[in-house]
Amino acid sequence: MKLLIADDEPAVRALVHVTLEGDDYEILEAADGLEALEVARGESPRLVLLDIMMPRLDGLEVCRQLKSDPETSGIVVVMLTAQAQERDRDQGLAAGADDYFTKPFSPLALLNMVERVRQTQSQAG
Amino acid sequence: VRRLRVQLTVLLALLGLLVVAWGATIFLGAHDAARTNASLLSTVDRFDDLRRRSAELGRSFVTIESCRRVYLLTGGPATYQAQLGAERRAKQLFGELRKLAGVWPELAPVVEQLAGDYRSWLRAGRTELRARHEGGAAAAARIAAGGLAERRFQRLHARQAALDERLATLQTTTGRSQGRGFRTAQTLALRTATMVLAAVALIAFYLRRAVGAPADALRSASGRLARGDLDTPVELGVENELGAVAVDLETMRRRLAGRMEALERLRHLSAQVVGATSLQRLAEVALAGLRPEVGSTRAILGVVRRGGQLRLRALAGFPDEGVADDIVKADAEIREVLPLTALRTGQVVGLADLDQVARSETLRGLVARMGIRSLALLPLSSRGRFLGLLALCWTERHPLDREQEALLGLAGNQIAGALEAALRLEEAERAAGEARAVFYAIADGVLLTDPFGRVTAMNRALEALTGWTEADAYGRPYGDVLPVSGEQLLTRYGRKVPVVVSSAPILDPGGRVVGGVDVIRDVSREREIDEVKSALISTVSHELRTPLTLIHGFAELLVLRDMPVERQRSASEEILEASRRLARLIDDLLSVSRMESGRLVLDPRPLDLAAVVERMLSPFRAMANRHTLRAKLPGALPVVWGDPDKVEQILTNLVGNAIKYSPEGGEVLVTIEHDGDSVQVSVRDQGIGMSPRDMGQLFEKFYRVDRDEVRRAGGTGLGLYITKRLVEMHGGRIWAESWPGVGSVFAFTLPTSSELAGSRGR
Repeated sequence: MKLLIADDEPAVRALVHVTLEGDDYEILEAADGLEALEVARGESPRLVLLDIMMPRLDGLEVCRQLKSDPETSGIVVVMLTAQAQERDRDQGLAAGADDYFTKPFSPLALLNMVERVRQTQSQAG
Repeated sequence: VRRLRVQLTVLLALLGLLVVAWGATIFLGAHDAARTNASLLSTVDRFDDLRRRSAELGRSFVTIESCRRVYLLTGGPATYQAQLGAERRAKQLFGELRKLAGVWPELAPVVEQLAGDYRSWLRAGRTELRARHEGGAAAAARIAAGGLAERRFQRLHARQAALDERLATLQTTTGRSQGRGFRTAQTLALRTATMVLAAVALIAFYLRRAVGAPADALRSASGRLARGDLDTPVELGVENELGAVAVDLETMRRRLAGRMEALERLRHLSAQVVGATSLQRLAEVALAGLRPEVGSTRAILGVVRRGGQLRLRALAGFPDEGVADDIVKADAEIREVLPLTALRTGQVVGLADLDQVARSETLRGLVARMGIRSLALLPLSSRGRFLGLLALCWTERHPLDREQEALLGLAGNQIAGALEAALRLEEAERAAGEARAVFYAIADGVLLTDPFGRVTAMNRALEALTGWTEADAYGRPYGDVLPVSGEQLLTRYGRKVPVVVSSAPILDPGGRVVGGVDVIRDVSREREIDEVKSALISTVSHELRTPLTLIHGFAELLVLRDMPVERQRSASEEILEASRRLARLIDDLLSVSRMESGRLVLDPRPLDLAAVVERMLSPFRAMANRHTLRAKLPGALPVVWGDPDKVEQILTNLVGNAIKYSPEGGEVLVTIEHDGDSVQVSVRDQGIGMSPRDMGQLFEKFYRVDRDEVRRAGGTGLGLYITKRLVEMHGGRIWAESWPGVGSVFAFTLPTSSELAGSRGR
């Protein structure tokens, strides 16, 4: 399964890599919002993990654009953010995000969530 | 002054004498008259008796002669008997005549002559008779022929006739003297009446002159005084008690008139001093008003200030105003000699000779410079409160008399009233000035309106905020000048400013609304601060959560996942790096907090800067493999003053940044140059550089250049801010030069003297 991790922090991307390693995941990376949008449109990943605070284009905007485009609206978007306030969470959900992870997050919880997405995809596919 | 009593006494004595004289005169006159009258009356009666007896005697003589002759002829006894009877009668009549004529001595000899003639006649007759008896008729005839008796009878008869005639003459004379006595009495009565009239006239004249007219004049004068006519003098022109009363009345009139005049002048003074709004003016007006009264030419006004001490406030009439300083300088000495206790009781105190009062050198010098000789101190008290002191000065000796003292006391009351008003005005003006100053200086906008909502005043802050000037805004409706909608003010030039408006009515003492006040606070700065704060929290939160995420994530994987050793190692390294980052962040935040609250204090000491640079560079050298770290140090460096830890922190930050932002490697060069009082340290790299736009807020808190490379390099946005603050605390300055793609130079200075070091940090 193809998934995209978009975060301006390389170490976070590395953590996601290590977490999902060896489980038949093709992991794509993006370091800012524009790149994330570009990769998502080009590669059509099943899942996008989006950091909110990113240079050039923030995660909320990326999510909004993905969800408004019929081509990409099927992609499962999961927000990853350091901002734990209710406001950010509501903003994320309002932008069409499917789930929400607050940093620091548990890699295993992330793995479980990704697994669930893969299974629903397998059932659907 | 001839006393009325003396006059009266003299008058009464005179009158007494007059009366005594009068009485005596009357008494004597009356006595005399009485006596005269009585003798006159008896004389007249006597004369009648005398004449009657004389006549009867004459008739007796005739009878005796007749009888004798008859007897001689006849010898008849009856005739003889008749003769004897007649003789007895004559004898009796002679006795009576003698008695009656005793009063008149001139009559006695006549009577005695008559009596002698009678006796001789009688003897002759008897001789004839004896002859008759003895000789008989013949003898008798012979003797008779001799005719002695008859001749004697004839003589006697003549004598008797002479007596009669004499008596008649006497009687006439006596009647004449009786008339003369009456006239005398008349004259006496007339004189007495004249004298009494004269006395009465004299008394009347005297009473009129000495008592009546002056009493009338006094009455009318006292009436005039009672009616308040003080202009007409009281004058009697008499020198007695009434005159003395008049003189007293005149004195009283003059003094009353003087008092009235003084009162009038006081009233005038009062009217003038009340108009004096400043203390200086008050002193001048009071001096001008009192100068004609007491002759003082200079005045000093002292006022008790809040602490209770008397303070010089105004001088008047002094040619040299500079004495004010001298007076103030001699304050303590003056206070020693001022009779403050007496003044506080409201007493006017005259110091006629200042030479006696000014005993100390300072005071003598002061008195000489002031050019005065005498003083009068007027306490100025109002409603029992001692407000101050007016000192009137004379250039020559001037003792106060009682009237002047009283006048000055009254004047003091008037001036005190005016002083109180002037002080109150001064206080009010001061308060108003303060209020005005506060109004105009206050940082918030303040707008005053009238009850109809029209602008009456606005302060500078509101002028700056709205773009209106007070002059333009005056009288305009509130809404024109201050269009506020939804917490936003639309300025005159169309800008929208977030504001908070608080309004209150202005009430008069009766509770009526006389206007309104609006305080307009420009909260754009607060909003900005709010935004900055929330951005800060967001940044800090983000910066904290990112390393935490890594620590948490990799640690969880290490615990729950079986991983090959090399992966475990790299996960551990991530955790370590993230922990370092977290620690650094926390250190930086604490540093900022300490610096901003002023708790960070430098410990400056002489430093060997070259050694510090070398020590700082060695760990970087150990870690950096792509970078060349080089230090260019001059041979002889002056001693630099600084806190070793902080200087090292500055250098570490700058060198760390140089490495961090030159990801391609290259040279990092640390140069130290000596320049006068300071030493300049620069750190040069060959990294990504910055554009001028990026450099704008380089040294501000949490500022991060918005570029990927920068983001990737991580950081808190606090490093350069802390560095700058540290440099400035050392008394140095920091700056940067940069060219995108070429590299950056960060340079700072440190002072070489201990006076400068650390002077700004505390």
